[in-house]
Amino acid sequence: MNTRKMIRDAWIIAELKALPDLKRQPLILMVMGLISGIPLFFMLVFGGQISYGLIGAMISTVGFIGIASAIQDITLDRYVKIREMIVAMPVHPISYMVGAALAPLLFASPGVAFFMVLALWQGYLPLQALGWIVAILLLCWAVLTCIGFVISTYLRRSSIYTLNNLSNVLGIGLIFIPPVYYPEELLGGLSWISILFPTSNAAGLMRAYSGLASFSQEMVLARWLVLLAMLVLAILLVVFKAKWRET
Amino acid sequence: MEAVKTENLVKVYHGKETVEALRGVSLSVKKGELFTLLGPNGAGKTTFLRIISTQLLPTSGEAYVLGFNVLDEAEKVREHIAVVPQDVATYGNFTPWEYCYYFSLLRGMAKQKVKEVSERALKAVELWELRNRTCATLSGGERKRAIIAAALASDAEVLMLDEPTSGLDAVARRKVWSVLREMVEQGKTILLTTHIMEEAEMVSDRLAIINKGQLVAQGTVEEIKSLAEEKFRVVVEGSPNLLEKFANNYSSVSFGSKRVIYVNSGDEAIELVRKALKSGLKAEAAPITREDVFVKLVGGVELNEH
Repeated sequence: MNTRKMIRDAWIIAELKALPDLKRQPLILMVMGLISGIPLFFMLVFGGQISYGLIGAMISTVGFIGIASAIQDITLDRYVKIREMIVAMPVHPISYMVGAALAPLLFASPGVAFFMVLALWQGYLPLQALGWIVAILLLCWAVLTCIGFVISTYLRRSSIYTLNNLSNVLGIGLIFIPPVYYPEELLGGLSWISILFPTSNAAGLMRAYSGLASFSQEMVLARWLVLLAMLVLAILLVVFKAKWRET
Repeated sequence: MEAVKTENLVKVYHGKETVEALRGVSLSVKKGELFTLLGPNGAGKTTFLRIISTQLLPTSGEAYVLGFNVLDEAEKVREHIAVVPQDVATYGNFTPWEYCYYFSLLRGMAKQKVKEVSERALKAVELWELRNRTCATLSGGERKRAIIAAALASDAEVLMLDEPTSGLDAVARRKVWSVLREMVEQGKTILLTTHIMEEAEMVSDRLAIINKGQLVAQGTVEEIKSLAEEKFRVVVEGSPNLLEKFANNYSSVSFGSKRVIYVNSGDEAIELVRKALKSGLKAEAAPITREDVFVKLVGGVELNEH
């Protein structure tokens, strides 16, 4: 299958999954940002480091749609049997995965943009770091989306309810347990574990680029490498473990 | 060349218990015909359809669609088929137009052609007037027709429909049948599955009856009907012990709590009714129906829907 068709198909799938919902349920654009903004609200009211909260909210928005929306969306497709129709069409699984992942990213983008503008305006984020921040967010989203895709296709016999619950637990777990909304230093001797989670690793890198954390160049490089390695591993999981055609 | 051909297709599911869903199914569907795979629930119809539509891998055997091997040339097969899965549901926010539009775009058609085929498909299933209503506001039959329209709009040569009329009322069902026949007139090949004998009789050029993963009969409706040598049936009902004792003397099939005995002549049927009544059982005789043929061929499985 040629690359041009794969890209076109991914775009069509993203469009079909996003446009009808956007046309008829425009509030969907606010939902992701609002959920991620809840911890920020408590930080504002009860006191806390807003800068950390804003970075956490950005990671939370892309992270949650990466893992939870990917699982829920693809599971819904299986449930309504749209996926069966698509599997029997000349559509590459990668196109389907990318398309299915792009749609929620579109829904989440206003939320991310809002937190980003807020962080820039409040001076928590230097403008020159914006490119890095976007790259980190996309990388984090890509890793979690791949994992979500593998889970939703691999556990095909699990019910839609089980997978929805699993996706929520994973999403919340990856966002609220590791240091995404709070500084790694709070973990003391265990702060190194933040590098092992794509969400907290990405949050750490964002804090480094925004000047909130002072990592050595080697540590920044190491964090990038770990995040990239996670992406490679996640892609390998998709290639070898995701089930498109059932056995 | 056949539109669909399978040779000794076997599918075994390994789970908590091993299930032989298909046990050496060999059949062929000619180009331009409407072929029905008829069988009771759990007979292996969906498994068969999912294998030839490249969604599921067989355990063994060969399957070809328009000469392309479903195992090695799945991409080629997918270019020529469109599938309507069993119990397919819809996205509530989608309109019938969006279903046709996006699914045709995924076929690689240009936007202008997509608009043409979508319009044609929606008119064919009589949904053109409702094309911009969301599926959430449509009836079950309309939603099913929206999905069928999406398959039709694909312009695929071979359409595979898994129980496309299940859950539809009689009027909606007939509308779907007429659309399918129209598609065949236009040169499409249709393979559909059903457990409704009437549906198979009304729409099929040829049909095959499948039961417990095996084909039990194959041919035209008339050929299938002629498989039943007996012309009359006697339905016997009563206490299980008496029934068992009485029916053991004849070739019979279970039909729920009743036994159906097939006989060759009206006289034989009357005689049998008399004997049954004498034995303390209820009995009635009637000429055989198409359902009888089906029930007899699948060994007395009760039909779920008529």
